[in-house]
Amino acid sequence: MRTLLVWLAGGLALVGSSQVALARGWNMPVGVTDLSGEIYSLHMIIFWICVVIGVVVFGVMFYSLFRYRHSQGAKAANFHENTTVEIIWTTVPLLILVGMAVPATATLQKIYDPSDAELDVMITGQQWRWRYEYLGEDVAFNSNLATPRAQIRGEEERGEHYLLEVDEPLVLPINRKVRFLFTSDDVLHAWWVPELAVKQDTVPGFVTENWVQINEPGIYRGQCAELCGVDHGFMPVVVHAVEEDEFDAWLVERQEMAAEEAMGVDRDWEMDELMERGEGVYGSICASCHQPEGQGAPPAFPALAGNEELIAGIEWHKDVVINGVSGTAMPAFRTTLNPVELAAVITYTRNAWGNDTGDAVQPAEIAERLAQ
Amino acid sequence: MWGVIKSVLAAFLGVQRDQQRREDFERGSPLAFIVTGIVMGVLLVAIIALVAFLAAG
Amino acid sequence: MAPKVPPQPTLEQSTSAVDAGHGHHHAHEAPPKGIMRWLLTTNHKEIGSMYLIFSLIMFFIGGIFALVVRLELFQPGLQFVNPEFFNQMTTMHGLIMVFAAVMPAFTGLANWMIPLQIGAPDMALPRLNNFSFWLLPVAFGLLLSTLLMPGGGPNFGWTFYAPLSTTYAPPSTTFFILSLHIAGISSILGAINIIATILNMRAPGMRMMDMPLFVWTWLITSFLLIAVMPVLAGVITMMLMDINFGTSFFNAAGGGDPVLFQHLFWFFGHPEVYIMILPAFGIVSAIIPAFARKRLFGYASMVYATAAIAILSFMVWGHHMFVVGMPLAGQLFFMYATMLIAVPTGVKVFNWVATLFRGSISFEPPMLFALAFVVLFTIGGFSGLMLAIAPADFQYHDTYFVVAHFHYVLVPGAVFAIMAGVYYWLPKWTGHYPNVRLAQWHFWLSVIGVNLTFFPMHFSGLAGMPRRIPDYALQFADFNFVSSLGAFLFGFSQLLFVAVIILCVRGGKKAPAQAWGEFADDLEWSVPSPAPLHTFETPPTFQRPAH
Repeated sequence: MRTLLVWLAGGLALVGSSQVALARGWNMPVGVTDLSGEIYSLHMIIFWICVVIGVVVFGVMFYSLFRYRHSQGAKAANFHENTTVEIIWTTVPLLILVGMAVPATATLQKIYDPSDAELDVMITGQQWRWRYEYLGEDVAFNSNLATPRAQIRGEEERGEHYLLEVDEPLVLPINRKVRFLFTSDDVLHAWWVPELAVKQDTVPGFVTENWVQINEPGIYRGQCAELCGVDHGFMPVVVHAVEEDEFDAWLVERQEMAAEEAMGVDRDWEMDELMERGEGVYGSICASCHQPEGQGAPPAFPALAGNEELIAGIEWHKDVVINGVSGTAMPAFRTTLNPVELAAVITYTRNAWGNDTGDAVQPAEIAERLAQ
Repeated sequence: MWGVIKSVLAAFLGVQRDQQRREDFERGSPLAFIVTGIVMGVLLVAIIALVAFLAAG
Repeated sequence: MAPKVPPQPTLEQSTSAVDAGHGHHHAHEAPPKGIMRWLLTTNHKEIGSMYLIFSLIMFFIGGIFALVVRLELFQPGLQFVNPEFFNQMTTMHGLIMVFAAVMPAFTGLANWMIPLQIGAPDMALPRLNNFSFWLLPVAFGLLLSTLLMPGGGPNFGWTFYAPLSTTYAPPSTTFFILSLHIAGISSILGAINIIATILNMRAPGMRMMDMPLFVWTWLITSFLLIAVMPVLAGVITMMLMDINFGTSFFNAAGGGDPVLFQHLFWFFGHPEVYIMILPAFGIVSAIIPAFARKRLFGYASMVYATAAIAILSFMVWGHHMFVVGMPLAGQLFFMYATMLIAVPTGVKVFNWVATLFRGSISFEPPMLFALAFVVLFTIGGFSGLMLAIAPADFQYHDTYFVVAHFHYVLVPGAVFAIMAGVYYWLPKWTGHYPNVRLAQWHFWLSVIGVNLTFFPMHFSGLAGMPRRIPDYALQFADFNFVSSLGAFLFGFSQLLFVAVIILCVRGGKKAPAQAWGEFADDLEWSVPSPAPLHTFETPPTFQRPAH
């Protein structure tokens, strides 16, 4: 009896929390672009058309079910055809559909017109992160899930943006037309932010496009929408939309950082520096497959800790990281990571978890190899 | 011929009078209906494609 | 096409066509005993029963997979299974439900009922019929065994998009391909058999347009099967080559195109969806007039609308691919064509409602399921219409809104129609009426369960939850909580269905030959209940219904 009461109370609390959810989002968001607003109105129009048709059809149906009950002595009529009625109920839906197709076509035409974009961003899907490249601006970075695994396992309290937070969001200016070019390094992914009404598959070997012009500054969150393997559910998208001058300042700052990083290629790095940097890169790039402790998940993802092939062959190791292994899930990282990151992560994996080879791979060496 | 086309059109919409249907099925061979059906199927695809290409500019 | 003179079955022919013409004159020889009887049977009723039992077992296996998925999604976080196993569960749930539960259930009903409804002694090709069935346990035994293989079973979704299902797939994928090939052969052979039976073996006097709608819809479905199953076979063979023989059909690095996979898959996949719903239309079109005590409104239109849906089903596959980056003209073409399908589908719903209008309606168990079918399938149709609007699909695509849509058309659609059919024909199969009280409990618990499960999915999808994720953001928690409760309610209430069937086989109120009154007057109701093993050994003379 007591357990019953607890369950009852729990149920009531849940109903209460549902009311909160009601205010927050049971419907498609209106979004923050002109197009997302248009899509929202299309959605609502077709929804209300369905509601009206539903009320009429189900109304007649339930009226009949109630009015013509056999138990109440209803006698069946004997009609089974009426061409006029049939033609009406064929043509009326046809006209409604044509009426619906016209605005839908207009919206689609706008979506398919990415001309006059002021900024091009290349979005690359990778298992399981996004890579953003501001074309012609020398700025590129990866965007990984930032929610700690402990929260996913339930060992820590879950934050407000559980599973919808990243280490580095895509930063975009408002009021400027931004063209997205989509591609993938491995399998299909789909880049989706509901508030921007942009969802586009990323297809390996092909480039697709879409565009956005954001009206309001804010942080907009979404997720990968196309099944892409084990961590499909852990591949969020976060867009940080900022005022135009703020964006310009941010871009300059990122360009300077990139230049500084490029300078780092030429100097000699200490082992500790490489290990520290490498641990960070490993955690955000490699750990999702090869696991945090390098134990791997065979047969798909081989272990790195104690991997004899890796320990014995430094050149082979570099080649695998830079060029990937075709026919397997190991991608080429030559474009994803810069020489410093490549050198650091190779050094790290050669020395962590008891691999202890003592090899320190220098960025300059990698840069030379990439130039070949 | 016009009768056949009308019957095939009715099939595309999914509405037909029982009388007409009976007459159609009295005819000996369904060949005329099958051929007309295929031709009009292709025509339907062509028309939708045409509208789509016009709308796409 | 229809023969003027149907075959005149002799005694030999009707026992089992295998023996016919080979001079074995032991007409009703004793069938082999034990397991051999079932392995070797060529009787359409026995094979039909085997199909139905097989599909019921698979329905429960696929259902358990679904409950694993719903259990994991009960709360945010990863509690019960890891994401890898979760993906295997979503994939296997889809594959088993589509290929091993819904399709064989309809084939089983076809086997049982089509010969009875057209007054034929058996299927046209009884040995082939036996072979078609026994391929299925092989195919799905193999498919289920992949779960135990190193690297696990298929984990790439039931749509198995390349390259996730080729370059990045687990090693067991080759077995998955083989099992799908076997299931595909079974479907094609079954379809050939059904077409041969319907076109050649109707009772004297029964013309095409006199056939019950279940026969009509199955005839059209069979043509769809023969048209698209080879496409599926082609696409999985290309996968096989990519995986094992170094080709690059779907591998961009080798000059292939991953999107080609989707075009081929959905050219099969969309007609496949109609394969799973057209026979359901046929069943409902038999049940509604029977319990409204009124002839079906617009029989001819129903046949024509079925044909129209089948034709259109070949030109709409692109609506599954609105976000892959098709050219604008392609996008528009598929949007317009998809919207057109709403017209013949609407015609069907209007016809059912018009049949109810001014009828004399009673609510026996088959009717309850048929009525729920009309309402809930229509809701699935509405969300389908919304999905057809390409710009809006940019928001709906690959979210729980889509999951809600296709579960509404497949669960309270196809599955409810199968259950309606089972309740409708159980008196013919067993000679007893199903227990009304238990059947009502089964119905109401199922209806509540289905709606609790799938209705909230509309909201979670619109609010932004993608499908096929093992864990989700906190704002989706309430919807998923309700969905999971509903799923367990629905799942466990199916045990009542099994109970009703077992009780009905073992006893119950005796049913006469014409078990559901004068408006259930197709030929199957002219043979005794339960139907003897051999029926229509002498073809009946078909009389057009008087009313």
